[in-house]
Amino acid sequence: MPYKKLRIETVNRVGYILLDAGSRFNKLSITTIRELKRAFTRIEEDDAVKVVVLSGYPGESFAVGADIGQMVHFSPDEAFHFAELGQSLFARIESCSKPVIGALNGITMGGGCDLAMSCDIRIARESLMIAHPGARLGIITGFCGTRKLPHIVGKNAAREIFMTSDPIDAAAALRIGLVDRVHSCDEFWPKTVAYAEQIASHPMTALSAAKRLLNAAEDTDLRTGCLLEREAATHVNTLQGHFR
Amino acid sequence: MPERLCTIQPKTNGTAVLTIPGGRNSSAKNLLEALKRQTAALSANRDVKGLIITGTGSGFCCCPAEGSASFQDAAALSGFGQQVLFSLEKIGTPCIAAIEGECSGLGLEVALACDFIVASRTASFGFPGIAAGLIPFCGGSQRLARLVGKSQAKEIIFSGDLMSAEEAYRIGLINHLYPEGEALSRAEELLAHICTRSPNAIRIGGEIVNAGYDIDLHTACMLERDAFALCFSSFDQREGMQAFLDKRPPLFKGE
Repeated sequence: MPYKKLRIETVNRVGYILLDAGSRFNKLSITTIRELKRAFTRIEEDDAVKVVVLSGYPGESFAVGADIGQMVHFSPDEAFHFAELGQSLFARIESCSKPVIGALNGITMGGGCDLAMSCDIRIARESLMIAHPGARLGIITGFCGTRKLPHIVGKNAAREIFMTSDPIDAAAALRIGLVDRVHSCDEFWPKTVAYAEQIASHPMTALSAAKRLLNAAEDTDLRTGCLLEREAATHVNTLQGHFR
Repeated sequence: MPERLCTIQPKTNGTAVLTIPGGRNSSAKNLLEALKRQTAALSANRDVKGLIITGTGSGFCCCPAEGSASFQDAAALSGFGQQVLFSLEKIGTPCIAAIEGECSGLGLEVALACDFIVASRTASFGFPGIAAGLIPFCGGSQRLARLVGKSQAKEIIFSGDLMSAEEAYRIGLINHLYPEGEALSRAEELLAHICTRSPNAIRIGGEIVNAGYDIDLHTACMLERDAFALCFSSFDQREGMQAFLDKRPPLFKGE
């Protein structure tokens, strides 16, 4: 089935999932979220892909939240199911065995911010504006942001972002750790591609195991995490010896 | 009267400034009791939309943690202090600590229980009690470690040294670094701005951030889903979204 809101391509072992909703902002509508889920399922099974880049490049926005015109009429029940749908997408991205790089090419708001936080690494274009405007709209986010943002940037920085609802720029996002790298507008895409290809040059088994372990590190105690690491390292490091 | 230790000044825009005096002479117990009364009064007063906590002059409640005569007394003081700061944390309105001078000991514990901290370049931060064999006792060790990371927290508590405002900004202990003398005025501006946002979303968001922080991702997301759905039975949600669509400023009621 073709995609209406996405463009998908694979170049040099990197799978690109590009949001392209056909308007200025890539809204995370129900259709877009469903297509993203489908795209991540497909790319998980595609052996030609070792690393995923998720971006709105070359558009003006990475992603913004849902359509306010639709959301204004949501009942609590509809809101619950919408949050459930979004959260199921992010769970899929996190459980994807391949590293997922969020390439934040521009405006990233609300649900778009949560989408970015489900990626393993975030690279920003200098023109980034990122915000969580729920308090301006009378809501909180329902896409895991209340848990993830405080863990990524610290509780206090997160609270200020939620309370003010104001966008922050690339430099501020880098300072608080919301993005990991910032590139100038010209260098953004070539550097993102080069970085993704560098990661894709590493053995898949090691990348997948490292991703699983680092995700587990946040939610397990140190001893359990170390046991998981020993199991994974035994398995992965043996495999590398056999199949090099 | 203990109230002198901790005074509230209401502002015309509906926010309030809670001032804790500087100096090293106040007793931790008296100060905590005053803070408990003021926090209870603020929680009960629905007219107060936001709170700033600051110090007088150059100090911010830098009284050191005090040693107690017995284990029982020390345990009771710690339990009491933790309860008081939990109540402050759960006050439900935005709360900013604005620091101009030294913020140490119990003062830093209070600041850490606020939503976030802003400071001027003349501010300093630390837990100097270690020199007298004392450690934070109102949740400060736990809040500090979660905010700036375990290693930074250990360095601050082990050394007992006061940290400059620049350093505090670099490690994320404070959210903003302002020119000398501007911490309070800039915090007031920021709070007034925050008070134009939905009080309902801010209250629910604060609860969910606190509840979700220490539990696993999956359970935290389930909590968030319910809280998100709850927002869609509120006046603020309809008003906020309709105002966005009408391209006008929203008029929130906090309900």
